[in-house]
Amino acid sequence: MAPPWCPCRALLPALALALLGLAAAAGPRQTPALELAQELAEELWSAGLPGDLPELEPECRSLLAAFAEGSAALTGCLGRRARPVRLCQGCHGHYRRLLAQYDSIARAVGNSSESHNCAKSILTSDRLQIVVTLSEFFNETWEAANCANCLKNNSEGLSNSTEEFLDLFNKSLTCFEHNLQGQAIDLSPNNYTEVCKNCNETYTKLNDLYNHLQRMNRQGGESAHSAHLCIDVEDAMNITRKLWSRTFNCSLPCSDTVPVIAVSSFILFLPIVFYLSSFLHSKQKKRILILPKRIQSNANLVNIQEKYS
Amino acid sequence: QLTPSSFLRIGQLSNVDLNEDIRELETEVPRQRPNEIPHNEKLLSLKYESLDYDNSENQLFLEEERRINHAAFRTVEIKRWVICAMIGILTGLVACFIDIVVENLAGLKYRVVKDNIDKFTAKGGLSFSLLLWATLNASVVMVGSLIVAFIEPVAAGSGIPQIKCYLNGVKIPHVVRLKTLVIKVCGVILSVVGGLAVGKEGPMIHSGSVIAAGISQGRSTSLKRDFKIFEYFRRDTEKRDFVSAGAAAGVSAAFGAPVGGVLFSLEEGASFWNQFLTWRIFFASMISTFTLNSVLSVYHGNAWDLSSPGLINFGRFDSEKMGYTIQEIPIFIFMGVVGGILGALFNALNYWLTMFRIRYIHRPCLQVVEAMLVAAVTATVGFVMIYCSRDCQPIQGSSVAYPLQLFCADGEYNSMATAFFNTPEKSVVNLFHDPPGSYNPMTLGMFTLMYFFLACWTYGLTVSAGVFIPSLLIGAAWGRLFGISLSYLTKGSIWADPGKYALMGAAAQLGGIVRMTLSLTVIMMEATGNVTYGFPIMLVLMTAKIVGDYFVEGLYDMHIQLQSVPFLHWEAPVTSHSLTAREVMSTPVTCLRRIERVGTVVDILSDTSSNHNGFPVVESNPDTTQVAGLRGLILRSQLIVLLKHKVFVERANLSLVQRRLKLKDFRDAYPRFPPIQSIHVSQDERECMIDLSEFMNPSPYTVPQEASLPRVFKLFRALGLRHLVVVDNRNEVVGMVTRKDLARYRLGKEGLEELSLAQT
Repeated sequence: MAPPWCPCRALLPALALALLGLAAAAGPRQTPALELAQELAEELWSAGLPGDLPELEPECRSLLAAFAEGSAALTGCLGRRARPVRLCQGCHGHYRRLLAQYDSIARAVGNSSESHNCAKSILTSDRLQIVVTLSEFFNETWEAANCANCLKNNSEGLSNSTEEFLDLFNKSLTCFEHNLQGQAIDLSPNNYTEVCKNCNETYTKLNDLYNHLQRMNRQGGESAHSAHLCIDVEDAMNITRKLWSRTFNCSLPCSDTVPVIAVSSFILFLPIVFYLSSFLHSKQKKRILILPKRIQSNANLVNIQEKYS
Repeated sequence: QLTPSSFLRIGQLSNVDLNEDIRELETEVPRQRPNEIPHNEKLLSLKYESLDYDNSENQLFLEEERRINHAAFRTVEIKRWVICAMIGILTGLVACFIDIVVENLAGLKYRVVKDNIDKFTAKGGLSFSLLLWATLNASVVMVGSLIVAFIEPVAAGSGIPQIKCYLNGVKIPHVVRLKTLVIKVCGVILSVVGGLAVGKEGPMIHSGSVIAAGISQGRSTSLKRDFKIFEYFRRDTEKRDFVSAGAAAGVSAAFGAPVGGVLFSLEEGASFWNQFLTWRIFFASMISTFTLNSVLSVYHGNAWDLSSPGLINFGRFDSEKMGYTIQEIPIFIFMGVVGGILGALFNALNYWLTMFRIRYIHRPCLQVVEAMLVAAVTATVGFVMIYCSRDCQPIQGSSVAYPLQLFCADGEYNSMATAFFNTPEKSVVNLFHDPPGSYNPMTLGMFTLMYFFLACWTYGLTVSAGVFIPSLLIGAAWGRLFGISLSYLTKGSIWADPGKYALMGAAAQLGGIVRMTLSLTVIMMEATGNVTYGFPIMLVLMTAKIVGDYFVEGLYDMHIQLQSVPFLHWEAPVTSHSLTAREVMSTPVTCLRRIERVGTVVDILSDTSSNHNGFPVVESNPDTTQVAGLRGLILRSQLIVLLKHKVFVERANLSLVQRRLKLKDFRDAYPRFPPIQSIHVSQDERECMIDLSEFMNPSPYTVPQEASLPRVFKLFRALGLRHLVVVDNRNEVVGMVTRKDLARYRLGKEGLEELSLAQT
């Protein structure tokens, strides 16, 4: 950028400094200009003139405040119930309320004029659109958790099957606790057979119910989300299964290796027998050569051989 | 360095009566080697004949062409388009049928086996599940193999070699019959359901060709129905054009690759090609993929979604991770080298196996038993692999169709089972798209190894099944393994996505086995739906082909050669310039005179030792010992029609009411001309004369004796000839060049080789 005839490099920092000074001078000049515009708008507002209003109507302001509080409550609820996952059970009330608040914003009409309702000024008048973003985030989370799956149709409270499942889940947890109580914590992992034996019934029931719910769900639903159960149920089952299979090591042992090896080696042996016997007993297929009718000349043979000599 | 013994055979086989002018060239040769030899690759079978791609331009033909006016030609053109549309629609429907039936039957089988395994895992006694699985597979494959072995053996295999031969101009018996189509479709369904390491894509190409050949004729000789339409197209020339359209439609239905289909036809049958034909074939391909698409969308419940264009859908490759950078190109090329080597190994193993099969397992019942054994072993290997695998993956969030738990913890499935306990198509897509970490390297390694041998063992069985999908699967498995190790080496860089390498590995393996270039690149590109992959796929296929060709030739060419088909390659062998037509031709030639005695014709046709199809017609000359000037060429099929209709000179004089023979009479007999034995000629009629001048082709192609082999070859290949008469400077017939005379010369390992003719 520097002109090629520039003799000394010391000039460059000086130039930069000068530019900086220029920018600094421009800065303060801008702020008063903004303030001026704001004042102008306020004057216009008090004069009852239409303009880009810097202030919300009071009704809208209260709606916005309600939404803010609702989203804070929901966020808190979601955060607190993140592990172990109890989102759908604990937060569906908050979520429903927030939905209602958002709806009332989206539908509310301010009293000044048709074109200046709350929906417009809250939801769409700036680039960030924070209210929309928040509500989208909550909706997406709810969708991803697939909570609708374990709530009643009107989403007031848990559905019957979920209640039943959670009931069984609690029962099995109690069973695990009960059976582990007498034992020391630092037991080696293969000493959990007591638990496996005693809680097998409850666990199997729980597992079956879960599989049943999953099957029902898969038959009923079409969309991608409905392939999953709601996150609460899934997580509860995951925890139980992990306890059962990993911690207590109750999953099925690798059994009957000997018969499997016997049967498979028998089957693998068959082709060898087949190929050997067909090699030894089958008559090899012979081809009958046909003598072509062709001129035979020495030239022919010589021609070909020439190429290799 | 050369032993002359390899060429001695040429001399030993010659025992011809020669004309005066060439007798002095004959040498004394030791006679009669043992003429029964075991099958080998250096044979040409007499079973195969050429197609008559060149029109016989006789008087009847010229008269008919003159009668057809301009408007009628336009109707013919419109009919061609209608036929192409019908080819596309029917091919698409057949593909849908195969897809739906396979999906349901395979689903049923896997559910039954899965329930059984689940039951016996808890109770013990898994060997029963193994037996159940193996028995189910073996019995399904038995049915599939029975119908192929006993009803229509030509329906075995993928059908691509056969169609390649057909487009090359070789008439493979039964290859485009309705019966073949039925057996092919049922056979494919049964072999895929039977759990063999096969795919249903290759056979689609054959099916499309049969459909094309059937529709374009407007009748079915198998069903004895003649719809009296499209009679104009009843000859080899037209039929072959439609067959190439059918092959393209088949490719397009199989892979959802209409352009790839057109290029496949171009690559395999390109010597007879023009722009209009290309455009028509493209039309047929598009219609075919569109039909498949819309019917499958209705079947899957989202009508008119049109998002499943082929039997195999590679899924979408457009996420961020699937991109590639210039640094990866050397890696892809390296994968191409690996694919070429593995492909060559596959082909070499399959070569030995096929040779063994041709020599020893030629009885149909043995072939059925072999197929059953392969099916049972495939199931067993799969079961043992699953049983021994300790690779468990969480079931949550994965898209496994039939998750097998076995000894995994609850909520997890056996990862080996996704590869083995599934139809191969689904396994391929899983390997492409499952998120990183779904497969353990050990699992993939064992799977690649086992599947490689299984697929190699399976190809060439007497079942109808293709090799595309197994190759893709092998390649995808080692490609994914490669990708995993790469990301391990680079400490988990974002660009080392195993799915991408699985795709490149699949391309490399397939290219290394079948050695297709242009069409395969486009097919892969269209199947992935990502044009930017064109470049790496091209590089991979190119490398795989170069490396593979260094060792052995492609699988299809190898099988064509093992079948002893007289296949003409693009060009004559490079070192063949010193050979001339004189050395190549067959001589002496059985000639007919222009007005010939019926008895002579019948005797010549019934002679079993010389199964000639074309006879040069020479000027009637009282002196029969002298070879007279060439006047035309007549085909066996024409002679048979003439004999059947008793077009004798004497009869024409006797009864004027007898109508003149028309071109239609020849067409009605096409393509199954009756054998000469079925035509009865009485003793009196033998003395009649037959006038051939109206029916022969008066302007056959001829070459002088001095023409070089490459020149003869070029003429033959470019015009699609069946007979090429060799004449001397007095226009007297000295010899005849046919397809087998040219296909004999081949460039082998040690230079120019000559194949021998054999009865098979």
